[in-house]
Amino acid sequence: MGDKPVWEPIGSSFIQHYYQLFGNDRTQLSAVYIDASCLTWEGQQFQGKAAIVKKLSSLPFQKIQDSLMAQDHQPIPDTFIISMVVGQLKADEDPIMGFHQMFLLKNIQVAWVCTDDMFRLALHNFG
Amino acid sequence: MGDKPIWKQIGSNLMWNKIPHYYQLFDNDRTQLGTTYIDISCLKWAGQQFQGKAPIVEKLSSLPFQKIQHSMTAQDHQPTPHSCIISTVVGQLKMFLLKNINNAWVCTNDVFRLALHNFG
Repeated sequence: MGDKPVWEPIGSSFIQHYYQLFGNDRTQLSAVYIDASCLTWEGQQFQGKAAIVKKLSSLPFQKIQDSLMAQDHQPIPDTFIISMVVGQLKADEDPIMGFHQMFLLKNIQVAWVCTDDMFRLALHNFG
Repeated sequence: MGDKPIWKQIGSNLMWNKIPHYYQLFDNDRTQLGTTYIDISCLKWAGQQFQGKAPIVEKLSSLPFQKIQHSMTAQDHQPTPHSCIISTVVGQLKMFLLKNINNAWVCTNDVFRLALHNFG
């Protein structure tokens, strides 16, 4: 019947590209952010491309594997897309952990960049 | 020094007032959630899309449980380029009349996903 909405493939290509860079060479993530971008990583805030890439590049693991379990994409008025990811990651030899990440994408000229990024590990106090 | 940026103040208000209020409505009477949404709102609930205040409230009101309790583990708030604030909440819920309890879930303003992980 109808085609997938246009924001779905944009969101999923971005996600695929992001996690590929994240897994292979986090310094290359600078292409994804702009100077107005904000990142909240486990509650810590970083503003601007340089600060964000510095934080991501300095995360304390050698190897990281991400496995995405679900992704959702929605359009937001004025040419934005919000993408949400639920997944699992394994850093070096640590146990597998769940995580949630949200990206706000903006269309600038012909590219999509990330203006907002929020990452949280799924660590709950079960009780 | 200086005042907190405006969005931090708003984020603080969200964290201590608006978001707990949202989950209070959600846990006690979901039909009242209409005040949270507007006609251009979008909801994505576990992969299903809903647009507009009426379909959203209809979906939330018709969720198949009698009782629910939300417990928030973490919330984050950030300003966006177009003068909005984006919030993410990570937490847990207990649904009393469903078989699965102690499931972790993730919810943003408009997107809800149960985070069911298979560890192993």
